[in-house]
Amino acid sequence: MTKMTECKKLISLVSRNTKCYFKDKFTFFMSLLTPIILFVLFVTFLRNIYIESLEKAFSENNLTVNTKIINGCAGAWLMSSILSVSAVTVAFCSNTIMIDDKINSSVNDFRVSPVKGTTVSLAYFISNFLITFTVLITVMLIGHIYLACVGWYLTVADTFMILVDIICGILFGTLLAGVVESFISTQGGLSAVATLVSSMYGFICGAYMPISSFSKGLQNVLSLMPGIYSVGTMRNHYLNGYMQAFIEEMRANSVDENIINGVINGIRDSFDANLYSFGTKIPLGAMYGILLGACALLLVAYIAIVIIKNKKK
Amino acid sequence: MIIEIENLKKSFKDVKAVDEISFNVREGELFAFLGVNGAGKSTTINIISGILAKDGGTVKICGNNIETDADRIKSEIGIVFQDSVLDKKMSAYDNLKSRAGLYGIFGKAFKARLEELTALLDLKDILKRPVNKLSGGQKRRIDIARALFHNPKVLILDEPTTGLDPKTRITVWSVVEKLRKEQGLTVFLTTHYMEEAATADYVVILDGGKKVAEGTPHDLKTAYASDFIKLYKHIDEAEKYFAALGLNVKRERDFVEIELNSTAQVGQFFADKPEFFEDFEVLKGNMDNVFLKVTGKDLKEV
Repeated sequence: MTKMTECKKLISLVSRNTKCYFKDKFTFFMSLLTPIILFVLFVTFLRNIYIESLEKAFSENNLTVNTKIINGCAGAWLMSSILSVSAVTVAFCSNTIMIDDKINSSVNDFRVSPVKGTTVSLAYFISNFLITFTVLITVMLIGHIYLACVGWYLTVADTFMILVDIICGILFGTLLAGVVESFISTQGGLSAVATLVSSMYGFICGAYMPISSFSKGLQNVLSLMPGIYSVGTMRNHYLNGYMQAFIEEMRANSVDENIINGVINGIRDSFDANLYSFGTKIPLGAMYGILLGACALLLVAYIAIVIIKNKKK
Repeated sequence: MIIEIENLKKSFKDVKAVDEISFNVREGELFAFLGVNGAGKSTTINIISGILAKDGGTVKICGNNIETDADRIKSEIGIVFQDSVLDKKMSAYDNLKSRAGLYGIFGKAFKARLEELTALLDLKDILKRPVNKLSGGQKRRIDIARALFHNPKVLILDEPTTGLDPKTRITVWSVVEKLRKEQGLTVFLTTHYMEEAATADYVVILDGGKKVAEGTPHDLKTAYASDFIKLYKHIDEAEKYFAALGLNVKRERDFVEIELNSTAQVGQFFADKPEFFEDFEVLKGNMDNVFLKVTGKDLKEV
């Protein structure tokens, strides 16, 4: 009975946090800033750079492929960037309710109520997860309409795995935001962190420029950051269908298998579908392992922070 | 006693915010905590309501010890914070719904209690409106409804009228009075408004974390506040005469105010100098005088 009541309290808190977020139009807009910036960058000049880069990869081998696949592939690369980076940046922005509650002393209202501190913290985490998921699914649907227009080559299995990648990415982003923002209790601190994350995370994870275009030293340093493996898994599932379409097109033109493998591997390397750490290629399974391992560590840190904060008054 | 506090202590580093204070609150009374900012009022309330942990002493609410029965105590008290904690972008209804949820009040129980409070606090026209579109008085009524949703026995009001305009203050007080009369609620008030403390059943004055005086407003005025006479005729002569008697005399533009050692002195002065009493008034000492006497601070100036 008590557990049931605590569960209802949790649902009530999650509902309140979510409503608060969506009622605040400014915060909602700020959360969408990263996807919007990436989209504008893509439309204005990144799209042409990626399309030229893909065309060059084929023309260097005297090959021609359907422009629809190339256009779609560039769009899919954009979608993988937007979704994997937004999983973190949106999570950081939408977690503002936790800090606003500290600033407005709403947190005292929870402390004087017979609700456990752990329930309040769990509610922040769940609501942040749900908000980020809602925003990302919306962005994904819009993006998929775009892909359907320019060239849809995603398989059902890859589409399903993209959903799994979104969930993993959000889990990572939400836990990271929960841990980092636990230490923030001022509006200034929140703005600083949100701005820093929104502007830096995209670069660090190769959303604007592929990591493969960075220096080897920087690539090795970045390979130590678990966030890039969220980008890696997403890139794989967004690009798989397009790579398969390229292969089939080249096979139909009787291109040598070695050349096909060389071209596809070259594209996968330069578009970050293949990720390397100190020269070693990281398999897809290992990417999930690293990402979920990081989530586990962040979860332990988050629980520790919640327990310590609840004890300290 | 509904609240029993004994030797309560709380320090923040080297600052003793609450220094071994003890007091009791009777069921159904309006209890006032009077003091300047930093006197220890809010710290005491925060300990009673479970926001802060105490360093020493005992706190019992409705017979429950705060160390062992914190959750039971939380169900017995409702608190209106100095600064509203309502979610400003959300409607008053949504605010009440989410707060009721914290006390496990859902569905029919929520609707029934909402109806009661809507009638009691006249909320009907403001429930659907976002909190940031409400006036100060309307917000305070929602704050009070939020604090009362779980039917607490004690309502704690932490400087509920600070920053409100006089009209809104009157509105808030009429609501509090209504609650006391109709619900028999115990009201624990912190304030630095003397006129609010003067209407309380019992007052505790805090200064620098210590209890410096306590009693009913009448007892405190009798013990600490002097009576005054104001003379409006022959004020130059009166000023000299009473000053020569060693009394505390204050000269204003059109009157002179003399602080009396006892009320009985009025009769004696009237007999000795009837010409001074052509136009006069005798004033009973008020809570301002009590506060000035026991703390050496004038609340109007701090």
